[in-house]
Amino acid sequence: MFDTRIIDTASTKEMNCIKDLLNSQGLYLPAGAQYVIAVYNGSRLVGTGALVGKILQGIAVDSEFQGEGISAIIVTDLVNKALEIGRNHLFIFTKPKSSSLFQALGFKPVAASKPDVVLLEWGTQSIEKFKSGLRQISRDKPEASCIVVNCNPFSLGHKYIIEKASYESRWLYVIVVQEDKSLFPYEARIKLVAKGIGHLENVTVIPGGDYIISAATFPSYFTREADLARVHASLDIEVFTTHIAPALKINRRYVGEEPYCEVTNLYNMVMKNRLPKKGIQLIEVPRVENNGRPISASFIREKIKAGEIDHITELVPKSTLSYLKSSQAREVIERIVNSSSRH
Amino acid sequence: MKILRQTRAGSLESNDLMVVMKPLGDREGIKLEINSIVQNQYGDRIREVVTEVLKRNGIMDAYIMIQDRGALDCTIKARVETAIKRGL
Repeated sequence: MFDTRIIDTASTKEMNCIKDLLNSQGLYLPAGAQYVIAVYNGSRLVGTGALVGKILQGIAVDSEFQGEGISAIIVTDLVNKALEIGRNHLFIFTKPKSSSLFQALGFKPVAASKPDVVLLEWGTQSIEKFKSGLRQISRDKPEASCIVVNCNPFSLGHKYIIEKASYESRWLYVIVVQEDKSLFPYEARIKLVAKGIGHLENVTVIPGGDYIISAATFPSYFTREADLARVHASLDIEVFTTHIAPALKINRRYVGEEPYCEVTNLYNMVMKNRLPKKGIQLIEVPRVENNGRPISASFIREKIKAGEIDHITELVPKSTLSYLKSSQAREVIERIVNSSSRH
Repeated sequence: MKILRQTRAGSLESNDLMVVMKPLGDREGIKLEINSIVQNQYGDRIREVVTEVLKRNGIMDAYIMIQDRGALDCTIKARVETAIKRGL
């Protein structure tokens, strides 16, 4: 009765029909959608959906055809495609009123930022499994502080705030954003963090996984869409306060003041508002300055881009500098030089 | 018999189920996760049917995730059989 087709995203005609269907349901075409499908009843387009990374997006069904199982056809196809390319852990953002529809297909709620959005997940990984891993880590540790860092790359500014947090806390978790959307790859970032703070004895470095500032919890952090950022920031903090913090016995979170980036600044504002209500103290630490200028990773990247690595010797620890000068970093530096990304 | 690669079978449509199977190392055993809209009523029965098919095919080590939407026993058997055949 219904046919499913993969849509050629380069075909304007087909994509326009899909845009119209999405708009009729108050949705819009997801950015970066490479795999888009359409469900037809005869020649009439009645449903669509897209896979963007590990997120199912832009799922819509014509109002006249709702309740006929079309969303199950769409989700089955998208899940099959994802599994085929080795993505076993999938996410959907949806309005709270549509949550039950996806739950019937096996998606489980991770967190909600009411009234705007619910995050659901599906697959071989889950927040429960992630938490039981965290509980293993925290089992023999006292109540602790945490700091979430991207470290793109690890600078003296990061070193300073982590040292401060370490001195002021019984235990400290340094959670490194795992999403590989930064110019420095995750493997390099976490290695430089571990090297840079190896002298601190009460610190554990933890990969952030899919649940801390990831494409799933905070997609606009990477796309820098400010209008969506508030919703996503709230969602990310909801995941943190309901799942991550209890599993690691966290009662304090450190953040650096954010003088440059609007999205990060907004994230800090949301934390200031939400964390104390959940019994977590937020400590905002002013940036360390060098020559009257706050040390920032984006400034360091600018200098690298300009080929002025010698100008950042006062901004990064020796471990980061020797990495930057090593052959390992050649590819990354080339990427920075050729990139127009601020991130 | 051994599951050698990740496989899948079935769908998320009503009265069907989706089976995802992944290889596990020797003697890691069967890790079976079942999610069903009728978990409370039929969760145990689904487990029985799946375990029976695995045993009959001599699968000793595998991770299996079942997402069920009210499938009949014969459907469950067929989907699990298919997933196994694709994974050998």
